[in-house]
Amino acid sequence: MENMQAVNSFVAAYLKKKGFKEAEQLLEDLQKESAPIDFHNDPDLAKFIHHFSQSEDDVARYQDGYSKLRSWTYSSLDLYKHELLRVLYPVFIHSFMDLVAKGHLQEARTFFNAFHEDHELMHSRDLQKLEGVLSQSHLEEMEFARSLRQNKVNIKICQYSYGLLLQYLHKTQSTAMLGVINEHINFQVTSGQPGSISDDTEVVTLIGSCQDAASLINQKEIHWGLLEDSLEERLEKEGGLLSDSEKAEAENKEGDVDDSKKRSVEGGKQGASTKKLKKDKAVNATAKSARPEAKPTPAAPRVKPELTLPVMSTEVEQSILEDLRNRVQLSSVALPSVSFYTFLNTHNGLNCSSISQDGSLVAGGFSDSSLKVWDMAKLGQQAGSSTLQGENDSTSSEHVAGPNGVKRSYTLFQGHSGPVYSATFSPLADFILSSSADTTIRLWSTKLNANLVCYKGHNYPVWDVQFSPVGHYFASSSHDRTARIWSMDRIQPLRIMAGHLSDVDCVQWHVNCNYIATGSSDRTVRLWDVQSGECVRIFIGHRSMILSLAMSPDGRYMASGDEDGTIMMWDLSSGQCVTPLMGHTSCVWSLAFSCEGTVLASGSADCTVKLWDVKTSTKAPKNEEKSGNPNRLRSLKTLATKSSPVYSLRFSRRNLLFAAGVLSKNV
Amino acid sequence: MSNVPKEAIEVIAQSIGITNLSPDVALALAPDVEYRVREIMQEAIKCMRHSRRTVLTTDDVDSALNLRNVEPICGFASRDALRFKKAAGHKDLFYIDDKDVEFKEVLESPLPKAPLDTSVTSHWLAIEGIQPAIPENASIEAPSDGKKAEYKEDGLSVDVKLPIKHVLSRELQLYFDKIVDITMNKSVSILFKQALLSLATDSGLHPLVPYFTCFIADEVARNLNNFPLMFALMRVARSLLQNEHLHIEPYLHQLMPSIITCLVAKRLGNKFTENHWELRNFAAKLVASICKRFGHVYHNLQPRVTRTLLHAFLDPTKTFPQHYGAIQGLAALGPSVKTVLSLFSARSEERKNLEIYSPKVFVYLYYQILKRICSFLNLK
Repeated sequence: MENMQAVNSFVAAYLKKKGFKEAEQLLEDLQKESAPIDFHNDPDLAKFIHHFSQSEDDVARYQDGYSKLRSWTYSSLDLYKHELLRVLYPVFIHSFMDLVAKGHLQEARTFFNAFHEDHELMHSRDLQKLEGVLSQSHLEEMEFARSLRQNKVNIKICQYSYGLLLQYLHKTQSTAMLGVINEHINFQVTSGQPGSISDDTEVVTLIGSCQDAASLINQKEIHWGLLEDSLEERLEKEGGLLSDSEKAEAENKEGDVDDSKKRSVEGGKQGASTKKLKKDKAVNATAKSARPEAKPTPAAPRVKPELTLPVMSTEVEQSILEDLRNRVQLSSVALPSVSFYTFLNTHNGLNCSSISQDGSLVAGGFSDSSLKVWDMAKLGQQAGSSTLQGENDSTSSEHVAGPNGVKRSYTLFQGHSGPVYSATFSPLADFILSSSADTTIRLWSTKLNANLVCYKGHNYPVWDVQFSPVGHYFASSSHDRTARIWSMDRIQPLRIMAGHLSDVDCVQWHVNCNYIATGSSDRTVRLWDVQSGECVRIFIGHRSMILSLAMSPDGRYMASGDEDGTIMMWDLSSGQCVTPLMGHTSCVWSLAFSCEGTVLASGSADCTVKLWDVKTSTKAPKNEEKSGNPNRLRSLKTLATKSSPVYSLRFSRRNLLFAAGVLSKNV
Repeated sequence: MSNVPKEAIEVIAQSIGITNLSPDVALALAPDVEYRVREIMQEAIKCMRHSRRTVLTTDDVDSALNLRNVEPICGFASRDALRFKKAAGHKDLFYIDDKDVEFKEVLESPLPKAPLDTSVTSHWLAIEGIQPAIPENASIEAPSDGKKAEYKEDGLSVDVKLPIKHVLSRELQLYFDKIVDITMNKSVSILFKQALLSLATDSGLHPLVPYFTCFIADEVARNLNNFPLMFALMRVARSLLQNEHLHIEPYLHQLMPSIITCLVAKRLGNKFTENHWELRNFAAKLVASICKRFGHVYHNLQPRVTRTLLHAFLDPTKTFPQHYGAIQGLAALGPSVKTVLSLFSARSEERKNLEIYSPKVFVYLYYQILKRICSFLNLK
């Protein structure tokens, strides 16, 4: 009898450990009902226990169980199939890791090879990582595997599917599968109809801990509005006073417009750069006449700045106001003009490029640690004075002519000791920041052509650095999995944002400077409060490394682009994806919103610039009714370059789009 | 089990002087080696992405090794991929083909040209959303179908466009008129050469292609007697064919008859002194180049041309010039056709001279050749 007791308590403990609550309950009930259980007379239970003892060492059960579960799932009812399919992937990876953990490496490999193709489409990158796991020590060492092992996966499933699954598992007595499911999957059973297939995105990113935490974090309040007393606001107020004089002015100008436009089109053919500024004006002048018709956009809420902002001089303010007044209104029918800067003869060494706000300066960071800055205005003048011949070679040959190589067409900034991965201009283009593999960020003055400060703080290569929209502050992101906030006058970072599970690959400021967004190799985008340094939003949905971010000018939306060419639009307040924008076939290196936020431009490694309509839903109510798919954002135009991957994009204040890329023969 | 076999570990151990490596160690090391390699590659891919590239280079691997505090592997910075060669006599043994380089040679060889310095140029990728047709921009034929698909998929096809007339910009119209004028009137001037060059290189001419092919077809049909004009037209045709930005395939059917005409027409020009042979040679080359370029797309192009020419050639009622043109055309078509005609190709020069002085001699010679070819063809 004592023996019996021991067995009972052992079984109970075992069931508890494995999380078989139902079985545990059953056992307890049985014990209450009839104190001594005769195991030998109860064939079911005996069989059950027999299975357990067997499954401890019988690795084939995993393979067998999984393949049965798989075929059962595939032959299940169509309505519930996609929900049940979601279960397969976690079961697959955990079975694999279980096998590895138990030391059956050979079997683990055959198991992996047998079934990994099912998940290749959705999870190819995860699988690539897991494929390399070949021993127990790897499981512990690899962060991805560890976080998978430690955390449960949440799967939303409807009542009926859940019932089906349980029924199947009980009927077939596939204990190995039951164990895996109990241990690693947390079912959120919902009553009613099964969810739609498109909900899949939630399951795609298995990053463990974040699932619960993310939803918690995403409930925090954020203030996405624009800054109080911004220039644009002031312009709106002034607008009332100015409008009369402006109209008169516009009328006067209208006669000139046609002329100058014609000229600029010719200019575009011969030497685009010479006529650039003129064209910019011409375009704007045409828009001016159309301006009064455009409705003022609904005002975004205003928020107070959390940082002390630098003071702007009145002249600068005036010039910005002038630009704002002359801005072209872009929409799905009025597309922007795009000026493309092509880097030639880079010998595969260009890592990044950046364009100043007005497009007059272009910087390139090279893998030979140098930073080069071209003054496009000067380049244009010289090309103009020399006869307008094919501009490709004339400019470069002119400048390099000096025998000592002293005269270059660019300003060379040397100081870094590793590849330069990112460069950014301050809003007024008087400073450049560059980040490098040598773990430093350097501040350069474009007026003095000299290095001013070297910021040391990161421990690993700094992948990205971005000036805040008001200047003075900047944010950096690094391989050391942190993002940091700096101000120009301090050599120590002001804030360190830690939390990403992998490299932080890109960083972007919110327009009101109170938040920064970071994109990471862990396939999430996070939004951080600059003042407190806390993570306030986690955006989950990308399937690969995030390469570029952009904030809409009204502060409400964010776009992120990834390695696969997917662009996602996020609503900052809800933390939800508005819609994915599909179209690019390769890495999206750069994203930019137009100044009033109606058009999103994306530049990609597939040698195209794409323009997206991001205001369809709000601006065209008629279309909504017809299409019945109101939230759908659409591609407006694909501008193909001649084998130049597009590295960076920038809208000027007047809504002229600048793009930069490198001419590469082998793409 | 792992992708790295334990034999590889043993080989490496031997190569660094460890001879008594136990098989267990190799077995344990192999999976770990694979894991480490994958780890390095993962970092290397990150470095590649941050260098804005889509092709992994040795530099990326070196940076990845740096990240892991491992000494980078130097000496593989060459731009070309390594060439592995199969070792003779072994099935699965490869080695890297390293060339021996003589120091003396390297020192004595002239310095290589300094690479061009990096520069930036600018152009308009789009003006108010429309891509101007300038050489810097990619030609705009391909995306048209992709675009349609996009619209369909959207279901938002609000801007349904009615079939519109082919709009030709004012600039293009002027350009076309100018070219036509030069071709018709000043075909010996330097200006004409410039025009041909422009036709052969400009990327924005695509809208004009139907007009040009039409122009050539019309004028050839009308001006068989005007030898200089015919030659000029053929040159225009050649320039159009040379221009790699043009999508000329759909218009080939208009162009081909004119060119074949210039090759095998009964009379070209109205004076005996005019060297219509040259025009025939020129047209022959043109036909050959067309067959070469589009032969793989239209697989029956070359057979049809060959048949036409052979018909002209084998028909005894045709005149010499026609036969000559046919022979030239066939000869230009390439080695397979040429082998047939190789019998007399050596004599073509001779024949041309003969022809000018004594047609009768040529007739005799010519039929001799013809007979031999016919017999050759029969043999085949």
